[in-house]
Amino acid sequence: MKKTEIKVFSRKILFLRIMKIYTILFFVTMAKLFAADAYGQNITINLKNAELKTFFTEIESKTEFNFFYSNNLIDVTKKTSLNVKNQNLDKVLNQLLAKTEIDFRFVKNQIVLFPKNNTSISELIEELIVDDEEQINSEESSEEVIKSKITTVIQNMVSGTVTDATGPLPGVTILIQGTTRGTQTDFNGKYQIAANKGDVLVFSYVGMKARSITVGDSNTLNVVLQEDANLLEEVIVVAYGTAKKGDFTGSATQIGSGDIELRPISNVSTALEGSSAGVAASMTSGQPGSSQDIRIRGFGSFTASSSPLYVVDGIPFNGSINSINPADIESLTILKDASSTALYGNKAANGVVMITTKRGKNKKGQFSLNISSSIVDRSIPEYDRIDAKQYYEIMWESLRNSEAIPGVDSDEDVAAANIFASNKIFSELKNNPFNVPNDQIVGTDGKINPAASLLYPDDLDWEDAITRIGFRQNYDMSFQGGTDKSDYYASLGYLKEEGYILNSDFERISGRLNVNFQATDWLKTGLNIAVSTSQGNQAQATSSQSSSFVNPIRFTRGIGPIYNIYRHDDSGAYILDENGNKMYDLDAQRASGASFGRHIVAEIDYNEDLDEITSINGKSYFDIKLTKDLNLTVNTSFDQRHYYNTDFENRYVGDGAPGGRAGRTYNRRTSVGFNQLLNYTKTFNDKHNFKALLAHESLKYKISDLDGSRQTVIVDGNTELINFVSTLELSSQTDELTDESYFGRLNYDYDGKYFISTSYRQDGSSKFSKDKRWGDFWSVGGAWRLDQEDFIKNKSWIDMLKLRASYGELGNNSGISFYAYQGLYDLGLNNQSEGGILLATLASPNLLWETSASSDIAVEFRLFNRFDGIIEYYNRKSDNLLFDVPIPLSSGIESVPENIGAMYNRGLEVSLNYDIIKNENFEWNFGINAATVKNQFTKLPQEEIINGSKKLMVGRSIYDYWLRDWYGVDPADGEILYVASEDAIAAGGSTIREIDGKILTTDDAKANYHYAGTAIPDLTGAITNNITYKDFNLGFMFTYQIGGKSLDYNYQGIMSTGTYGTALSVDILDRWQKPGDITDVPRMDDTQTTDFNATSDRWLVDASYFNLKRINLSYNLSNKVLSSIGSSSGRLYLSAENVFSINARKGLNLQQTFSGTTSNVYTPSRVITLGLNVKF
Amino acid sequence: MLNFKIIKMKKNIIIFIAIFAVNVLFTACEKEFLETAPTDQVPSNVAVENTDNAMAALNGIHRALYVRYGSQGRGGAGHFNMFMSEMGEDHVFNSSTWTTGLRWILTDSPTNSYNRAHWAMFYEWIANANLLINGIDDAQGEQEDKDIVKGQALLYRAYCHFQLVQVWAGRYIKGGNNSQLGIPLRLELSRDPLARSTVEEVYTQINNDIDNAILLLEGYSRNNKSHLNANVGKGLKARVALVQGNWDIAIQYAQEAREGFPLMDQDTYRKGFSTKLDENGEFMWASHIVADQTNYFGNLGAYLSRNYSSSSIRANPRSINKPLYDMISETDVRKTLWSEDGQHAELQDGYEISSRHSRYPYTSQKFLAESTSVSLMDVPMMRAAEMYLIEAEALARDGQDGLAAQVLFNLVITRDDEYILSTNTGQDLIDEIMIQRRIELWGEGFRWLDLKRLNLPLNRKEPGSRHTSSRTGGVLEVPSSDNRWVWVIPQDEIDANPLVDQNPI
Repeated sequence: MKKTEIKVFSRKILFLRIMKIYTILFFVTMAKLFAADAYGQNITINLKNAELKTFFTEIESKTEFNFFYSNNLIDVTKKTSLNVKNQNLDKVLNQLLAKTEIDFRFVKNQIVLFPKNNTSISELIEELIVDDEEQINSEESSEEVIKSKITTVIQNMVSGTVTDATGPLPGVTILIQGTTRGTQTDFNGKYQIAANKGDVLVFSYVGMKARSITVGDSNTLNVVLQEDANLLEEVIVVAYGTAKKGDFTGSATQIGSGDIELRPISNVSTALEGSSAGVAASMTSGQPGSSQDIRIRGFGSFTASSSPLYVVDGIPFNGSINSINPADIESLTILKDASSTALYGNKAANGVVMITTKRGKNKKGQFSLNISSSIVDRSIPEYDRIDAKQYYEIMWESLRNSEAIPGVDSDEDVAAANIFASNKIFSELKNNPFNVPNDQIVGTDGKINPAASLLYPDDLDWEDAITRIGFRQNYDMSFQGGTDKSDYYASLGYLKEEGYILNSDFERISGRLNVNFQATDWLKTGLNIAVSTSQGNQAQATSSQSSSFVNPIRFTRGIGPIYNIYRHDDSGAYILDENGNKMYDLDAQRASGASFGRHIVAEIDYNEDLDEITSINGKSYFDIKLTKDLNLTVNTSFDQRHYYNTDFENRYVGDGAPGGRAGRTYNRRTSVGFNQLLNYTKTFNDKHNFKALLAHESLKYKISDLDGSRQTVIVDGNTELINFVSTLELSSQTDELTDESYFGRLNYDYDGKYFISTSYRQDGSSKFSKDKRWGDFWSVGGAWRLDQEDFIKNKSWIDMLKLRASYGELGNNSGISFYAYQGLYDLGLNNQSEGGILLATLASPNLLWETSASSDIAVEFRLFNRFDGIIEYYNRKSDNLLFDVPIPLSSGIESVPENIGAMYNRGLEVSLNYDIIKNENFEWNFGINAATVKNQFTKLPQEEIINGSKKLMVGRSIYDYWLRDWYGVDPADGEILYVASEDAIAAGGSTIREIDGKILTTDDAKANYHYAGTAIPDLTGAITNNITYKDFNLGFMFTYQIGGKSLDYNYQGIMSTGTYGTALSVDILDRWQKPGDITDVPRMDDTQTTDFNATSDRWLVDASYFNLKRINLSYNLSNKVLSSIGSSSGRLYLSAENVFSINARKGLNLQQTFSGTTSNVYTPSRVITLGLNVKF
Repeated sequence: MLNFKIIKMKKNIIIFIAIFAVNVLFTACEKEFLETAPTDQVPSNVAVENTDNAMAALNGIHRALYVRYGSQGRGGAGHFNMFMSEMGEDHVFNSSTWTTGLRWILTDSPTNSYNRAHWAMFYEWIANANLLINGIDDAQGEQEDKDIVKGQALLYRAYCHFQLVQVWAGRYIKGGNNSQLGIPLRLELSRDPLARSTVEEVYTQINNDIDNAILLLEGYSRNNKSHLNANVGKGLKARVALVQGNWDIAIQYAQEAREGFPLMDQDTYRKGFSTKLDENGEFMWASHIVADQTNYFGNLGAYLSRNYSSSSIRANPRSINKPLYDMISETDVRKTLWSEDGQHAELQDGYEISSRHSRYPYTSQKFLAESTSVSLMDVPMMRAAEMYLIEAEALARDGQDGLAAQVLFNLVITRDDEYILSTNTGQDLIDEIMIQRRIELWGEGFRWLDLKRLNLPLNRKEPGSRHTSSRTGGVLEVPSSDNRWVWVIPQDEIDANPLVDQNPI
């Protein structure tokens, strides 16, 4: 028995070595090296139900042959029966092993057993055989000689597995650089090749970036290939189908799963930012699970929505985007121009984001696991604000100046005012955090008492009291596989993210099953079901809660630095409860500007605002091949979202006090869609390629609401409605929206050079009246692949050159009421026990579709096989703008929806990618994109419409500021100065001043309004770097914006010249103090807060920024590690999102809104993640 | 083989047809697929289909008096009245919260949201009233019911036009031609721009509407005091006459209006105004808010009451100004409605003021919410005492001093047992009546309008005044010639209604 020799090999290389041995032996067989007399040997065996190894022992005992095999490769415990008499050994073995997976060869007097169907042949072995044929053939050749040859071969064999992001990759070509020697990976992605140390192996595969790897000391080389995004053969997902990127006539950007996998994103929308020129994202909130707002190519609508349409697996999606587990996403495609979005005509005027979920690609089966842990903190620091001592001095000055102003009023008055302020400042601010008496905090000189020190300096930081380092954990596992006729993908994901604000979190469990089955050669069917359930405690810091007392951001930003959180005794020590815990100071006296009577720390602690959302999303289809060229696909989709909110406001402090209040909200959204697609594909004369589509689609969307709230809690600790005494509200409603569409598309290309795509669509919507509800939309696009022309084909430096152009007209009806055309009375305006209704809307029977006519022209190129780019110009004209047209307030109704107005968005988009370094071990790709948007109204229902801080006029943009014209501060008395309006100048009066020849006013009501710039930046974009060195990859993305202005209401809120109790920016230290002071901050004066703090262009700030949006470092695990855990590929990664932001003012979040204004919202989080991604 | 193919084709076609048919059945071929309607709204044509629906539409207006208009501080008629009070001199703030009215910020800024909300609110009620006035005649139902609906709708239209013209137009000048710009006079539901009528035209229309309404509502017995009956119509007529200086009309209608509405006794008065004004015989018109119609922190009780725990009340309980307080006799029951030391020792049983409520001198307990946790409080709109005061003032201004003093006596003696018939005459008597008016109607929405109609300046600097420059944003004195007495018209009206001229800023 020679088996023992093999068994001493280390387990790790056993397999490899055995393979080598068999390979050699196979070659040996071919070289006719096996013993000629084997055929002469006959044997008799009769065993019943015995293990194979019993047979082998029997044969060994009865012949001169020994068996040579590995238990790891072949199963010798399989039981069988055999009864032969004096049979030829070769035949006996054939019979014995016929129904097994074992093959055999005779070598000399050895019988080598190995798995069947192992076709791997090494050229090296052939060489070896040729070189050593004689020697092996010679009589002296012994077992030892053979074995030593085998050993040599083993040492020169390199093997491993080639995978891509989804798993093993069969058919990868592996070539030793500079030779013709090569091989391919087998079905399981495994390969072996004889190569010497120092040889360079080149791995290449269609659609993947080729990789070159130098053979080192290890005999195992596992390789991960990355998708090659530049490749023209890349197939992208487009409306109702797919297209080759190179042939596509529209404007689209696709984000692959690889770009999503290694980022700790909880919401798919996050992946869109920076991915494509002209795609703008607002960083609305750090609330875990929240979405980003996306705008594609400007702002297409005024009253109607400007958000893009989300399409999930081909069906328009009404659910919450955060119900989709990013790990389940195969690709995200952003469709920008009319030609590519036209097939979603009625919903696609603002662009489309196509989300395609994963399906089983790897037939053999693959399990993948992604584990990550993150820490979550605040990405943008708070505004710098003054401390307690500065605060008391500054507010003293405000009080003093309300009585008398130094240098303006008489010295006696000022002296009296000083005394007044020193005596009274405590009674205004209501809390004395110092160890000096209340009337001695600030001296009559305006300086803090030198003896004053803080009693509880560690108890004044409210921001600190509500924040923490959040922890985020994410586990995703999926399994995919299939047979020749079917494939499946199943996943389960778990995410738990704690926000950095206490009691804000998001926990999601999601599962997906995607099964496709080729039932017959003409029928294919499939089912894709996703279920997700999430719960999230809400921090109540959305923009609509900007001024709410329960908003932790507003509360902590705005509270003056002199107010304590916990109770203290007179010495400043904490008063503890019976359990030794600090006690919230709920009865603390504070000035009204300091949220008097409220206590955010306690309210976060005691209250509850929990969203629980369960989403079910199902889609099935039948794909029927009617003829060779004609296919019918029938899709059915079902989408349901259940939202349940638990709201409780405690009875001790806050909105619920003192009774306690609870509410429950249930909201169910169901959308059911059907479509039928008839696809026809035909090629004539090999050059004329036609693709046609004819389709019908219908969608029904239903929203059901149930709302109830009650007050006065009965028993503490139970927040259910039954535990409350009286009902405050109980209501329900159901709304329905229906859409129906007929559409078709015709694509034609000639010889892969000229492409044309046209589409037509007719849409009906329940939002419009019977006579107006059908809209006709169409598009045409063309592309010319210059690189396919003979005059360019031979220019080796041009890899691709394409010109494309498109034009289309699309519709929009999103964002307006479901019943916009109907004249209605509101129900529910009951008066005591009598039913009541009230006029709500006027009928608007002529309301129809808003249209958006987009044209797009672009050149796409790839040069020198390392530089590619797209330069694109678009012009998007929106007409018949859906507009809530303001009508005279005196009519009793504020507005009527009408189609009035037109605007355009135009701009240039450039994206460039360059491989700075591109060699075997080191690759560095640099990408930059940039976009401009020019937005302008060309028609409006009335001459001007003032909309908050903006004024809409023809020739102006949707976000042009219309603000008081702030001039500065009068050095004489610290009064604010605005440019006076014409009316005010005409009227004259004491508030009018003339300075440097300018007529100014100190009264905000008399200030002149003017256009003061725009919120729309000149240029936006992103810069990406992707560096790969050996197994390391480093990627980072900056986003930037140049130009535009932000109206910083948050800053305005902490620049008040006299609101007692409200925190103040450090910039207040630059205030005017005495005549002659040159400053742009007016004097402190609590009588003048209205004039001094009025909204004006004083609060505008440059909106340029440069953000490090994300950075990502990953390492492909070494084969050694991988094989030890039995994994085929694995990556370890470290990543960070929202790393830093450089802009004009600390504290400012410039990405909060597109309109440029700031409010008190949950500042976005910075998330730093360590993760592991492995596949088996 | 060929045969097989045909069979297969057939099978395909069958499946194709079947699936297509199922799809089509469920969706497209339904004729009504694209017809949808809301469940929380009804088509507007049903409102005047019959008198029942019209009554519901009328109740909608009653309710609209106490719903929220935009953000929290704009809660309908009660809030409007509160602004009319706090813009005068008798109403003192103790903290700088919600100072838009106190500081007169809403008077001179066309984009001010409070200014806009109140303008739009009155016109919204007018639009609802117009639908009923112009549509009720063709509705199905009894004539009697039609009269009730139409009469009340006319009163609303008159009430709204009256409030609008008092605030957004120059004051009515007795004996003048009053051709100064009034307000747009909306007599039908229309979205068309409409120019401002003259002040005279507006008052003529107001009087016509009231006269018609009184006729229609004669004999109408209402469910509760949120509805408007003939007495309310007469009370309104008296108010209008007082502004116009039509003393005899004011005298007559003030008398008739209060018939059946006896003055409350001192025990009732002492309890202040809370949630049961319907039971208080003196009240002629009031909104009663029930639990599930609450506006929470937007209710008037969340601003004007003493006891509700809103941030506004905790930090800024409203006080009476000391000079006025000092003018109240010690034996007058009304003096108990304000707490000199702010401790409210005499708060009636069942009400409390929490430790988190700030204490300030002279704070009012005239208005009380249901409890510290429930902001419900009825909204006072009209009561008999005002009618006595109108009558007394009209008599005094008409030179009928004796009668005036007697009417005043009839009122005040119910408040103050020690009150003796006034011997004042002429301006002294008028002054006394006006002081009684300020005391009696404190916080109910009259003082600023009184100052304006009488062409008086605002003077918050009377000796002993507790107003500070700091709280009032420096608005301590406003001469009667100041433009701010005529509020600017909201910019949104100007923008959408080119026929409207703006008031001087």
